[in-house]
Amino acid sequence: MTANAAPLPIERYPRRRARRARRVAAAVGPLFVFMLVAFNLPILLMLGWSFSNPTPTLNHYAYFFEVPIYLRVMANTLRIAAITVLCCVLLGYPLAYWLRGMAPRPRLFVLAMVVLPFWISILIRTYAWIVILGNNGLVNRGLLELGVISAPIGILYNELGVIVGTVNVLLPFFVLPLYASMARIDDRLMQAARSLGAPQRVIFWRVFFPLTTPALAASAILVFILTLGFYITPAVLGGGRVPMIANAIELLINELPRWELAAAISTLLMIAVIAFYLVARWVRRRGTA
Amino acid sequence: MARPDPASAAPSGSLPPSPAGSRLDRSVGRVERGLVVGLGVFAVVFLMLPVAIVIPMSFSGEQLLTFPPPSLSLRWYDSFFSDPRWLEALANSAVVALASSLLALTLGTLAAYGLVRHRFIGRAALEANFVAPLIIPPIIGAVALYIVFAKVGLLGSYLGLVIAHTIITTPYVVLVMTVAIAGFDERIEQVARSLGAKERTIFCRILVPNLSSSILASWMLAFVVSFDEVILTLFLFGNRETIPKRMITRLELQIDPTITAIATMLIVFTVGALGLVYFLVRRSGRSLLDARH
Repeated sequence: MTANAAPLPIERYPRRRARRARRVAAAVGPLFVFMLVAFNLPILLMLGWSFSNPTPTLNHYAYFFEVPIYLRVMANTLRIAAITVLCCVLLGYPLAYWLRGMAPRPRLFVLAMVVLPFWISILIRTYAWIVILGNNGLVNRGLLELGVISAPIGILYNELGVIVGTVNVLLPFFVLPLYASMARIDDRLMQAARSLGAPQRVIFWRVFFPLTTPALAASAILVFILTLGFYITPAVLGGGRVPMIANAIELLINELPRWELAAAISTLLMIAVIAFYLVARWVRRRGTA
Repeated sequence: MARPDPASAAPSGSLPPSPAGSRLDRSVGRVERGLVVGLGVFAVVFLMLPVAIVIPMSFSGEQLLTFPPPSLSLRWYDSFFSDPRWLEALANSAVVALASSLLALTLGTLAAYGLVRHRFIGRAALEANFVAPLIIPPIIGAVALYIVFAKVGLLGSYLGLVIAHTIITTPYVVLVMTVAIAGFDERIEQVARSLGAKERTIFCRILVPNLSSSILASWMLAFVVSFDEVILTLFLFGNRETIPKRMITRLELQIDPTITAIATMLIVFTVGALGLVYFLVRRSGRSLLDARH
């Protein structure tokens, strides 16, 4: 909106243009200033902190890559995120496909059940898994009674418990966009394949499935990103024994004050998240183009 | 927590129903169909299980967490209402959620209006900036704000937490209101403008009354997100507590069934409020349900 912009037709009415600019500023300005001061600036300052000692340095980053414990936590986080994605695909793809084929009324009902957990606190949902997975919980007692096991098995306070929690929280994030894209697929494509004599299995794998892969990949990356930043689930269901990167950052801020290192790890996490997000967006754009 | 990019999910509410001939059985065989339905049912049960378990547990008379509860009582409700620290946490949660959701509603609705109704340089970047807190893990915002608040003395203050919560709730308002404003006929605004109405009049007297259901929906969404938030609160609220913060600190110490009583009340409150809004504004019911993707 500078005065020497290209000679658009609007250029002839400088006063109207100034008025338009004022309107834009009045609407967008307050939130812009708020975000600048309260979000963008603090994150930039954090970036600066991660490089300061107080003289400019890369030591904090070097420390992260040299000390095995941090790399182990990072590897742990990536592994949990990958397994969570896998579980979401295995459960979420059939669920979305099932939803697509449903009659409108039952579909609305099932969709409501998928959406409802969004509105209920993550803490509450995570807490409930303690009841279900604990030594005296539903799963263990059920298995004992069936005689599958002779003593309670440890599902809680280990990686398995954390994964159950992350999948439970993130499954709706996976299913809803995937279902939205499946619902957009034109049924006539499958009908055409059928009329040409393709068996049902071939129709699914050669026509339907390829059409869903962009959304599938985008949803998978989204779940992956969101798992990377998880804090509550590993803290509660991991019982402190399954540290993920967010828990390590919390430790560095609150327990052993090493703010610069926390800032460096946060920066790395942020770069990873933004990079994966851009990949997801690119995949989705390519899919819809 | 972070929320996914809604651009991918938003259309689900407005999709035309697929034509009648498109049932599942036509595209896959019997075995596959059984597998799909089985996994789908399992997924839905898996999603709803925590909610379904917590409610009966809250009426348990025992300290031990066994399901189904061996005896029934209201002792955990009693232990919530007779503990001043829980009540103080509830008051803190309510105050912070109310303040930040109203701030988010104001800032977000105005910004959405600007984003939808005007084309300007940097518009896409601005929109990305506004919704970025959905993608960036809250722990990062918590670290950044912790360092800044420590310098300016906002740690442990209500103002600091309200600012932090506003950052994470505003994206929801921006998203819901962007869709709502884009769906509102711009010509009505143009008519008002041609009759000499000022921008402020158009916004307050035309847009706000017409979009009241979406505004209500996004306010509720912002309120719930703030009420549930725990990571920023853990970092920035000092010695003070909110309901989720007290829940997580109690959880890390021991199993306290009082939490099931609070959880049940929150679930009943949330579902009740959702149902009420859905009832009041049937038209926006879908966007309410879809809003939180």
